[in-house]
Amino acid sequence: MADLAALRSSVLAPRSGQDQALDAALERLAPGRLPDRPDTPDLHVTSVRRLPAQAAQCAPFPAGLDPRLLGALEARGVTRPYTHQAEAIAHALGGRHVVVTTPTASGKTLCYNAPVLNSILRDRSSRALYLFPTKALAQDQLAELQATCETIAAKAGEEIGVFTYDGDTPQDARRTIRGRAHVVLSNPDMVHAGILPHHPRWAKLFENLRYVIIDELHAYRGVFGSHLCNVLRRLGRICRHYGSSPVFVCSSATIANPRELAERLTEQSFEVVEESGAPRGEKCFVFVNPPVVNRQLGIRRSYLSETRRIASEFLKRGLQTIVFAQSRLSTEILTTYLKDDFAGIPGGPEPIRGYRGGYLPHRRREIEKGLRDGSVRGVVATNALELGIDIGALDVSVMAGYPGTIAATWQRAGRAGRRSGRSAAVMVASSAPLDQFVVRNPSYFFDASPEHALIDPDNLHILVDHVKCAAFELPFTTTEVFGKHDVQEILGALDEQGLVHLIDTQWAWTNESYPADAVSLRSVSSDNFVVVDTTDEARVIGETDFTSGPATLHPKAIYIVEGKPYQVERLDFEGRKAFVREIDCDYYTDAITYTKVTVLDTFANGSDTELRRSVLDTPECDGARASAAGVGPRGSNHGEVRVVSRVVGFKKIKFYTNENVGSGELDLPEQQMHTTSYWLTIPASVMGQLPLAPDDRRDGVVGLSFAMRQVAQLLLMCDRHDIGISIDSEPAPLSARIFIYDNYPGGIGFSEPLFRMHGELVTATRRLIAECECENGCPGCVGPIGSTGPLAKSAALRILDLLLADAAAA
Amino acid sequence: MDSSTFVRRLRDVVGTARPRSTSPVSHAVSDVRTDRDLKRVLRGEWRSWSGASCFVVERRQEPSARHGRDPVGTIAARFAEGSAGAALIAGGRPARPPFLFLDLETTGLSGGAGTHAFLVGCGWFDVNGAFVTRQFLLTRYADERELLAAVTEEIATVGALVSFNGKSFDAPVLETRYSFHRLEWIGASLPHIDVLHPARRFWGMRESCSLTVLESEILGARRVDDVPGFEIPGRYFQFVRSGDARPLVDVLEHNRLDLLSLAGLTARLLELVRLGPGSARDAGEALALGAVYARAGLPARAREAYTTAIAASTRLPAVRIEALRALAPLLRRDRRYDQAAACWQLLVSVRGCPAHIVREATEALAIHHEHRVRDFAAAKAFALRSLDAGEHARWTEAVRHRLARIQKKMGKSEVSGLKFDGESPQTPNLRLET
Repeated sequence: MADLAALRSSVLAPRSGQDQALDAALERLAPGRLPDRPDTPDLHVTSVRRLPAQAAQCAPFPAGLDPRLLGALEARGVTRPYTHQAEAIAHALGGRHVVVTTPTASGKTLCYNAPVLNSILRDRSSRALYLFPTKALAQDQLAELQATCETIAAKAGEEIGVFTYDGDTPQDARRTIRGRAHVVLSNPDMVHAGILPHHPRWAKLFENLRYVIIDELHAYRGVFGSHLCNVLRRLGRICRHYGSSPVFVCSSATIANPRELAERLTEQSFEVVEESGAPRGEKCFVFVNPPVVNRQLGIRRSYLSETRRIASEFLKRGLQTIVFAQSRLSTEILTTYLKDDFAGIPGGPEPIRGYRGGYLPHRRREIEKGLRDGSVRGVVATNALELGIDIGALDVSVMAGYPGTIAATWQRAGRAGRRSGRSAAVMVASSAPLDQFVVRNPSYFFDASPEHALIDPDNLHILVDHVKCAAFELPFTTTEVFGKHDVQEILGALDEQGLVHLIDTQWAWTNESYPADAVSLRSVSSDNFVVVDTTDEARVIGETDFTSGPATLHPKAIYIVEGKPYQVERLDFEGRKAFVREIDCDYYTDAITYTKVTVLDTFANGSDTELRRSVLDTPECDGARASAAGVGPRGSNHGEVRVVSRVVGFKKIKFYTNENVGSGELDLPEQQMHTTSYWLTIPASVMGQLPLAPDDRRDGVVGLSFAMRQVAQLLLMCDRHDIGISIDSEPAPLSARIFIYDNYPGGIGFSEPLFRMHGELVTATRRLIAECECENGCPGCVGPIGSTGPLAKSAALRILDLLLADAAAA
Repeated sequence: MDSSTFVRRLRDVVGTARPRSTSPVSHAVSDVRTDRDLKRVLRGEWRSWSGASCFVVERRQEPSARHGRDPVGTIAARFAEGSAGAALIAGGRPARPPFLFLDLETTGLSGGAGTHAFLVGCGWFDVNGAFVTRQFLLTRYADERELLAAVTEEIATVGALVSFNGKSFDAPVLETRYSFHRLEWIGASLPHIDVLHPARRFWGMRESCSLTVLESEILGARRVDDVPGFEIPGRYFQFVRSGDARPLVDVLEHNRLDLLSLAGLTARLLELVRLGPGSARDAGEALALGAVYARAGLPARAREAYTTAIAASTRLPAVRIEALRALAPLLRRDRRYDQAAACWQLLVSVRGCPAHIVREATEALAIHHEHRVRDFAAAKAFALRSLDAGEHARWTEAVRHRLARIQKKMGKSEVSGLKFDGESPQTPNLRLET
């Protein structure tokens, strides 16, 4: 409460005051350490980097832009574009597909708005389609584009129709939009279910489609990206039908393979623009590792408490701060903590807010507005605020836990100091091995290339769904190609189901359904659970996707919205509803999930020496990786598996102390999927050489799997929930298997590269465990002691040594 | 992945094969057979328009044949006599003869590029009072363009389209088909009477307003062995896959009966509009007539219809409320203030009258007594009563304002020596007449 005055007065504080406050807070965090200093992996603050300000680099506009457009841009203050803007515009005008990968707030929108508006001014019939990963981003862009169009209308008398078209567009406005829009701002989901299936109504758009803009390209990884690729394949068919071939202009956050991703998504070849000419303010980037409180157990101070402490240092100096948490749960926990620390005036606006997916749209809009106008001083968010929603320029970004990928970390850091002025980003490592690896090796983050975005558009589940949608939209011909697999074979199978029928040279759609309705681009199934609060009158307060439903909404689970706990009273599994009631409690719940994996088919295994050798020759192995990769030990496999999982119980964990204060058993239905997996077989010969009791051997395998999962996540550069892990020692007590599977039905392209990186996976896992300072295992290597046995660490190391020795002998 | 693995995984994803219902036949043979079967089974023929040919099935229902209670000839006459009033049920758009009844059978209800209109059913009354149907059948997907061209020629000469829910369904489906082939859908520029909307108004008190319910209740028509709507796409797909037209026989008949009932219902609506409330069978029809006349700018006829509806609705509170509520402003506009007040008064006395309507009526009565009758005590009482009926803040604010003003006027009245006894307002004893 004492900090309230600072919170309020800061709204009007001048810029230099903000800079001083920032320096003071950083000084508290890392005394006398500023500016740059060498990395010190063992200290509390392991790294401080000062990223210098950069001056603007400009270039003239490329020739060929309409003078009316140039006039309007000039009126809006743009006379000379930044170098990357000029370059991208030139490519787009020249009809070359281009992807721009420059940092947040570098003016990417001009790169596509200029060629689009130019084409419309030159030819009034021209059309453009913009795709944003979320509706909110489209709304954000609408305002900017409309402002430019109003200037053009005022100065040159040319009216350009710009409209969003998404699930929120009222039915009666849709016809008008179809008729009047030169530029349609939409999202892949709407194009998939609302535009492509109705393409005849959009004939004008498709006949004249000059540009397709894909913003936030990096968001289309994994399942979403695999779906988008297929949506674009369908878009391509429709464009060919109407005789257009649009140019793609894409923008992306920094990823390692923007060209590859753009080319895979669109199946076109691309130019890349990556040198930003935009000015940047100075930013201080700090890595914090919470101190060890129990060396023997390797337990560090809770990273959430540490985050709370650090965020408070900034907040109490009046600096507007965004805190990123890793999960919905930790978002709610941190919101609770910070609300306790910075309570607002009773009845006044709340200075601290939570923000995550599952909040209803009006609540989100209210928080975004509060951030822009400064009434919200601190927000705790999940990755829902990572994308370019306009929340203005904040002063500080604090990340509770490593976001999992380099790209996401830069993106979150970019939420502070978007335009100019000093800003800071702080990453607080959790005790998870991946966090520990990154915080102790800062150069991995600062100096290495960011990750690759992987997609698998030819995942059969996804591909078949889109073949249905495409067949509904336009009959396939007998010579047509769609994706990597034989589409004629797929159509034959659909024929047997009565969905299509071959007449002469065309496959006609012969079903009364509307296939796009059954396909959700965000998941492999479109199911979700809604959360109904029954405290007073029943109202929906949130939603959760189907797969995570049982783990977060099981009976007696604590479901938290903006720090307010609700208890689940009943889960209607069939009706996909969870009924909750407000509750006053000091704990949260953590589900216990049991998973079993069965091998259905082995595609390849590492006993094949030729294959193991080819691992070394694979061109995808870049320098850093090839040096780490050796000929891996035997026992690597890649294949198709069935994963059965069931939530069997839960633990009650006390806030603040994280004590386990109780548990419960649950009886919920199983969830089942077929997916692809990498697995390591530890042969009986290796297990037999361990001078240990069977239980201790098993602990070793459990510990090894814990560490391998983290390394796999690092190597694949994927999100935590993209992969799943399971161990299996049933076939024989003496051998064991560790599965790392794609956590999506049909697989999404992680297990195959992991299989190729097997050698690297094993050696890096060994390094992680061997270099850990703990004695008998900790959350930073083989898992917390207590979850694994006392010999887990040494047993895991022995197993790895034996596997590697075996490989060397071979 | 080798091809056998691919096929196995494909089976996992798509599902196991169903036995094929037909063995593939060589196209030449099947085309000839299909064509012969079509003509025989469906009793239709290939017909050519300029540059387009299409398979067409034509039927004639003679004037003497019955559809429900009445012979077709009677329905035809009813339609012809009433057609001058068609604009009244078409929402005011001019609608001229010749009228064409239109009904599609489609491969699905969801719309979109993959939903086809496989049967375009057209119907009209000929000069002799017979009902003629002409159904355009899509025998092969590849012939859709020709079918659409033929339909364009068919409707090019008509004055208006008549359909049942056609504005929301049939017209958009056709529009999509025409756009798909980059053809113009000329139906968009024709007046279109969608009978569903007036039907809801006239007969919406029933539990369902579907064509089948209405044809049985209004026309007294019964169908035997009618094909249920949900089976229709499946029967067409069966035909597409096998070339066997037999499953379509009942579909064509279903479509023909739909057209006939559509014509019958339209004729009845036109008759009602022509003859006025005297021909109404119940209070609901009279009420609907009132609305039709009011929208058409015929206040005297509207007042007559509403009055009939009020008289006939002593046991139908919903109809009564709606009729009174519609009549009162018409009377006020005609400066029959006392009669309007009587309506409001009756409205307030209807048992179970919803709060917002009570609020509206008491408000109107307060105004009436304040400004016309100048009985401030009554005005005050009504204003107080309307305050009870409404909770909305802005509303309450307005009423308080009114109360304050009445109070002030009451004060003046007392000073000027007018009588004020402070009792509850007397119900004006007015007779409702038109």
